[in-house]
Amino acid sequence: MVKISLNQVHAVRDQWSLSASGTFNEGVHLVSGDVGSGKSTLALMMAGLLPLSGGEIGKEKIITSMLSLQFPELHVTGLSVAEECASWGVAPDEILDTIGLTGKKEASPLSLSRGELKRLHLACVLAKDYDLLLLDEPFSSLDCEEKVKLCARIGQKSKGITVIFTHEQNILPRVKRIWEIVDGTLVDCGMPPDAFTHWRHVPPIIKKLTALGSTPNNISRDDFLEAACRIQG
Amino acid sequence: MITAEFLCYRNLAIDALTINPGITTIIGANGSGKTTFLKLCAGIAVPDSGTLMIDDALPRETETGWVNEFPDRNILFVNVFDEISSPLRFRRIPCDEIDSNVRACSETMGITHLLTRAVRELSGGEKVLVSLAAALVHHPKVLVLDEYDSHLDAHSLAKIEQGIRKSGADYVIRCTQQMDTAIHSDYLLFFDSGRITHAGTPDFVFPFLKGTAYYPFLSEG
Repeated sequence: MVKISLNQVHAVRDQWSLSASGTFNEGVHLVSGDVGSGKSTLALMMAGLLPLSGGEIGKEKIITSMLSLQFPELHVTGLSVAEECASWGVAPDEILDTIGLTGKKEASPLSLSRGELKRLHLACVLAKDYDLLLLDEPFSSLDCEEKVKLCARIGQKSKGITVIFTHEQNILPRVKRIWEIVDGTLVDCGMPPDAFTHWRHVPPIIKKLTALGSTPNNISRDDFLEAACRIQG
Repeated sequence: MITAEFLCYRNLAIDALTINPGITTIIGANGSGKTTFLKLCAGIAVPDSGTLMIDDALPRETETGWVNEFPDRNILFVNVFDEISSPLRFRRIPCDEIDSNVRACSETMGITHLLTRAVRELSGGEKVLVSLAAALVHHPKVLVLDEYDSHLDAHSLAKIEQGIRKSGADYVIRCTQQMDTAIHSDYLLFFDSGRITHAGTPDFVFPFLKGTAYYPFLSEG
């Protein structure tokens, strides 16, 4: 089985530091944390793109890995949308219709609206299966409908480790495990719904449903709806 | 009052719109014209035809503060203090006054610890907080925020929501994909394909959006 283990991983910068230990197994993981808490730093370290100040990261059976950065323009290498798709090894005709970019093949990726560029980027990233897929703020720039679609797409993934680093609280996919960064330390909150009791970044909707006596089973909109229906009968 | 009459620009067309002082939030899909409208309000773009007036003045004659969702596109200076103080420096305000204003504004935003940092080293969300501070530091009459909350966590949002309300801006015009933010507005506009299809208080507008991804969960049951 694929797995990535963090053993007393450290990042230090001036007065700021991050320490992380834990094992990420196959499935979808959520890492929540405040602005500046170190979500992106952790993603970069797990991708092997940032040297560790201390500790070690062990990877098992991870041959292919991909980090999707928060700002999609940082990924752009093609002069046109078609070239950009090709750079990811994706045929433009296969994805452009599905992301509402029909007829934009010749457009410059940087002339797209930010929502369009994020959709293009995510479609390219998700077109392939990676053993380790790290998604840094994948929901930013997407409108609510697109967030729902992205959750469905992530939910279809059957193989590999997917780690979502985000502060999004309303529209999320069903996840296997929840983590959070609190006071410079990565905390393993465990699996939902048990994780909710000590998850400091628990979404308000989960708190509210729990207070009403109906804890959702997981963190997707479907789970919230199901829990809300249980109350209303 | 902000008034629009027969406003046309790119894909946007608004026949008549009146916005009273307070917090106005625009919601709708990517590409529905939200940012286009905000650019007109901030005077970054001018209409192809029709008028948009803020208390009987053109946006370009009005003090406005602007925050882009991708703050990198707007940040000019290398370090945080210089970036936040820039609107005041451009106005040739005395240095000690600049200093105290920047500090007060940074405190409201909870970013005093960032003042000596290089902007390049900040996280995405921290950059947004810096841009917000730079927009608020000169006390604009109109504050225009383009999906500023897309990169912010709930804690930071709650903090800056206070900052926005205390800013003294007569008008706050913002767009968001966070319906929990949208619900706390005086006025809500729903854009669809360059047209305003719903306008009114959140209590009035949201019932029309029931069953869509734009309907906030928290208002249910």
